[in-house]
Amino acid sequence: MNKLPVALTRHDANKIARYTKRRKQFSAAFYALCVAIALLSVAILVVLLMSIGIEGQSRLSTDLLTRSHSELQPQRSGMWPAIVGSLLVCGTCGLLALPLGIGTAIFLEEFKPRNRWLLRLRSFVQLNVSNLAGVPSIVYGLLGLTMFVYMFNLFGQIQVNQSSGWELMGAKHLYQVLTLEPDHAVFIPQTNRNQNQITIDRPLDGLDQDWNPIAIDVWAPGTPQPKDPEVRRRTVAAGTTGGTVTDKAWYYFRLPLDRSFLAGGLTLGLVILPIIIIASQEALRSVPSSLREASLGLGATNWQTVRDVTFPAAVPGIMTGAILAMGRAIGEAAPILMVLGATISKESGPRHLMDNAVTMPVLIFNWAGRQQQEFKQLSAAAIIVLLVTLLILNSVAILIRHKIQQSQP
Amino acid sequence: MPLSSTTDTTPTDPQSQRGRTLIRIQNFNAWYGDFQALQDLTLDIPRHQVTAFIGPSGCGKSTLLKWINRMNDLTPGARAKGGISLLSDRPDEQTVDVDILDPNVDVVKLRRKIGIVFQKPNPFPKSIFDNVAFGPRLHLKTTKSELDELVEWALQKAAVWDEVKDRLQGPALGLSGGQQQRLCIARAIAMGPEVLLMDEPCSALDPASTLAIEDLMFELRSQYTIVVVTHNMQQASRCSDRTAFFFEGRLIESGETRKMFTNPDKNQTDDYVRGKFG
Amino acid sequence: MALPKALQEQDFKSTTTGMLSERLIVSCLALCALTTVLITVGIIYMLISQSVGFFSSDQITLREFVTGTEWTALQSKQLQQSKFGILPLLSGTLRVTTVAMLIALPLGLITAIYLSEFASPWIRSWLKPTLEIIAGVPTVVFGYFAILVISPSLQWFSGGGFATFNATSAGIAVGILCLPMVCSLSEDAMRAVPNSLREGAYGLGCTPYETAVKVVVPAAFSGIVSAFLLAFSRAIGETMIVALAAGTLPTFSADPTRQAQTMTGFIVEMIKSENEYGTVQHFSLYAVAVTLFAITFLMTLLGQMIRRRFQESYE
Repeated sequence: MNKLPVALTRHDANKIARYTKRRKQFSAAFYALCVAIALLSVAILVVLLMSIGIEGQSRLSTDLLTRSHSELQPQRSGMWPAIVGSLLVCGTCGLLALPLGIGTAIFLEEFKPRNRWLLRLRSFVQLNVSNLAGVPSIVYGLLGLTMFVYMFNLFGQIQVNQSSGWELMGAKHLYQVLTLEPDHAVFIPQTNRNQNQITIDRPLDGLDQDWNPIAIDVWAPGTPQPKDPEVRRRTVAAGTTGGTVTDKAWYYFRLPLDRSFLAGGLTLGLVILPIIIIASQEALRSVPSSLREASLGLGATNWQTVRDVTFPAAVPGIMTGAILAMGRAIGEAAPILMVLGATISKESGPRHLMDNAVTMPVLIFNWAGRQQQEFKQLSAAAIIVLLVTLLILNSVAILIRHKIQQSQP
Repeated sequence: MPLSSTTDTTPTDPQSQRGRTLIRIQNFNAWYGDFQALQDLTLDIPRHQVTAFIGPSGCGKSTLLKWINRMNDLTPGARAKGGISLLSDRPDEQTVDVDILDPNVDVVKLRRKIGIVFQKPNPFPKSIFDNVAFGPRLHLKTTKSELDELVEWALQKAAVWDEVKDRLQGPALGLSGGQQQRLCIARAIAMGPEVLLMDEPCSALDPASTLAIEDLMFELRSQYTIVVVTHNMQQASRCSDRTAFFFEGRLIESGETRKMFTNPDKNQTDDYVRGKFG
Repeated sequence: MALPKALQEQDFKSTTTGMLSERLIVSCLALCALTTVLITVGIIYMLISQSVGFFSSDQITLREFVTGTEWTALQSKQLQQSKFGILPLLSGTLRVTTVAMLIALPLGLITAIYLSEFASPWIRSWLKPTLEIIAGVPTVVFGYFAILVISPSLQWFSGGGFATFNATSAGIAVGILCLPMVCSLSEDAMRAVPNSLREGAYGLGCTPYETAVKVVVPAAFSGIVSAFLLAFSRAIGETMIVALAAGTLPTFSADPTRQAQTMTGFIVEMIKSENEYGTVQHFSLYAVAVTLFAITFLMTLLGQMIRRRFQESYE
C-alpha cells in the first residue's frame, strides 16, 4: 500500500490555505473577544466603585462616623452603632469559628485513620463540610433564629424581647418607685421574681440612683410633706406602686440568647466555619509531607508533629483564609437580618452580652431600600466605610503574613 | 512485647558487640493494598556495621527499610506479616527486645531507638539549633546547658559543626544540600538511637557531598548500626560491610560486601552488580 | 568523643502521660469535626420539625403548596385568605437565576480561558486581584449597585420597558457576583489539564482557539460543570441583592422585566414584617427554606461529586 489515502491526495492547496487563514482569523477574533470580556470585569469594578463614590462622597463626614441613625434627621444620621456592632459581632464570630474551623481542619488533614470504616467516616465529614459551604447564608440565618434566638422553644414559648428566659448571671431586678421629688426614683431589690409590682406602705431599705443603700421613708397623704429635698428624695407616698426594672451588667447572660449580638455572632460563625475549614485544610495540605515524615521519624507523635512542625508552617495560609472569611462575615447581611431583626434605631453599640446590635450591612440594606434621597446617599457613604474597613482588614492580614514569614528563619 | 526501659540501649563496649545480630527479619511479607511488595524474606542485620540494601527500583528495599521503624504506618493500605525484631545485647542473639510489628508496640520509643534519614534533606523551617534539638526536646528531660552540649556533640558527630557553629540560630534552609543532609543525620543522632536507617541519603546530592556522607557513614558505624538503601553500586561497595540484593520483592542474596561484588553465589546478583540490568 | 550527659542519663520523658494528652487532644479535635456534622443535623432537624408546624395547619395541604400559583402570605391580613403556593416564588428565583447564569457562565468561562491559556503574567497580575476584589465585595453592595445603576440603565435603554424593581437587574447583579467564582473554579480545572495535551494539539497544527476550546475545555469539562453547578446554587441562595432589587411582589410568570419575589426575598420580607412566632405565616418561612435548602443541597452535592471524580482522574 504505497498509495496515499484519497483524503490526502485530493487536496487543493489554495483551498487549504484559505481555510487555514480563516481558522487563524477566527482564532484571533476569539482572542480579541477574550481580552474584551476580561477587561469587562475590570470595567464593572471601576463603574461599581465610581458610582458608589460619586453617590456617597457628599455624605462622608464626621457625622456619619460618630452619630446614630435618625428617622427624622436623615441629613445628620450616622453609623457609629453599626460600626461598633459589626466589630463586636465579627469578633464573636471569629472566636467561635476560628478554633472550631482550624481544629476540624487539623483533624481531617493530620489524623487520617487507617481503618477502612473510619476512613469512610472521614470522607463523609469531608463531604459534609463541602456541602455546608454551599448552604445559602440565609438558611444559616434561619438556623440561628431557631437555635440561638428561640432555642427550639426549649425554655417555653418566648416572645422576643419580652420574656427574659433563664437568666444565668449579671441581672439585678429592682422595683422602681417614684419619690416625692419630681422625676426622682428609688429602687428596691426584688426578692420574688414572679411579683412584678410592689406597693409601698411601710418604710423599707432600698437603693438610690447611684446604688447606695438608703432607708426609704413613707409619707402618708394628708400629713405635711417634708420640705428638705434630701429627705424628699428618699420619701415615697404611701400606696405608690413600683414596676420592675432590670439592671444588666455587661456580662448579663441568659438563655435563650434572644436577638443579641452574641446570637448574631454565633450565627455568622456557622456561616464562615466551612470557609475556614476548607482554607485551613488547603494550607495544611500544602505543607510538604517530607517535614511530617521527618518529625514522625524522630519519634514525635502525631500531635507533636502538628504542634511543632505542620501547623507553624501552615500559619500564613491559615491566616489568609481566616481573614478572607472574616471579610465575608463583615459584609454578610442576610443571617444578621434574620437573627437580629431589621431594626436600626439603636443609638449605641451593644451594652451587654444580650444586647441587640446593628451591623453595617444591615444598615446599608435598610437605607438603600428607602425612598428619601438622603438615605440613599447615606447608604453609599456607609458602603464606602464598609469597603474601607474591608481594605484595612486585608492590609492588616498582608502585614501580619509578611511579619510571620520574616520571623520564620 | 512492650519495650523495656532498661539502659541496655547504649552498648558500653561497641567493639565486643560488633557483628552480632541486632535486627532479625524472619519470613517477612509486606503488601500495599493487594500488591505484594515483599515476599518471605529472612535476613539478619549485624550490629555496628553498615548494611546496604541494593536492587532495581520497585524491588521493595525501601519498603523493608520503612517497616523497620514502622514509618509505613503512615501509608494507607500498607500491611505486613512475619517478624522483625530488635534483639537485646545478650550474647545468645536470641532474646527479643522489641517485636517491631507488634501492633501494641510504642512507636514513639521504637523510633527513638531507630532513627531515619530520608532521600531528600528535609530540615524543618526552623533554626539549625532547633532542628537538632527537636528530638531531645521531645524525648529527654534536659537542662539548657545539657541541650547545648548535646547539640554540639551531634553536629560534631555528623561532621557539620565547623561549618555551622557560627550560625546555630540561622535558618536551616540556608544551608547547602549536603550540609542539610548532614544536619538531618545530626538531628537523628541527637536522640541517641541504636540504629540509623538511611533511605538513599545521597541521591539528591552532588558528588562532593555524597563523599562526605559516605565517610560519615563509615565513621558512625563504630557507634551505630547503619542500614542504607542505595541505587548506587559504587556507594554500596565503597562504604558497606554487608550487602543485601533485592529483586522483585524477594531477597536474592546477602553477605559480605566484598564477596557480593566479586564472587556472588547467584547469577542474578552478578548480572546486577555488573550493571547488566536495573 | 564522650557521649553527652543528656544521653548518658537516659532520663526519658514518660510516654504514658504523653499518650494520654495525645488522646485528649485528638478527642477534642474530633469533637470539632463532629460539630460540623451536628450543624447539618441541626439544619435538617430545624427545617423538618418547624415546617411540620406549617403543613399541619388546616389551611395548607402539601399539594397546594407544590402546585399553587399564588403566594399571598404577606399581602393578605387574614390567614383564611392567604394562599401558599410556592410556584410564584420558584418562578421568581428561576428568572433571577437564569439571567444571572446567562451573565456569569459565558463571561466567567471566557475569562477563565483567557487567564489559563492566553494571558501574560503581567495581565494576570492585574486581572486576578480584580476578580478577587469583586469576589470580596459584600452582596448588599451589589444590591445597591443594582438599584443605583443597573435598573435605571435598563429603563433608559428600553425606554421604560422595565419596572423599577425587576428580575433582570437583580439577575445581572447576581451574575456579576457569581462571575469570579465561575472564573476561578473553571480556571483551576483548566490549569489541571496536563500541558502535554496542549502541546499535542499545537503539534497537530491547531490554532490557539482550537486548542483552548476543542482540547482544553473538553478535558476540563467536569471541573467546569461543577463550577457551573456551584455558581447556580450560589445564585439561588443569594439574598440581599434580590431583597433590594427584585421587588416584593410574588408573580408567577416568565417575564423578566417585572417584579419577582424570590424564595430568599420572601424570607427577608417576612423577617422585616416581624410576624409573631407560631403563626402559620411565620412557619411558612421554614417551608420556603426547606425548598431552598433542598435545591441548593442537591446542586452542591452534585457539583462536589463531579469535582471529586474529576480530581481523581488526574492524580
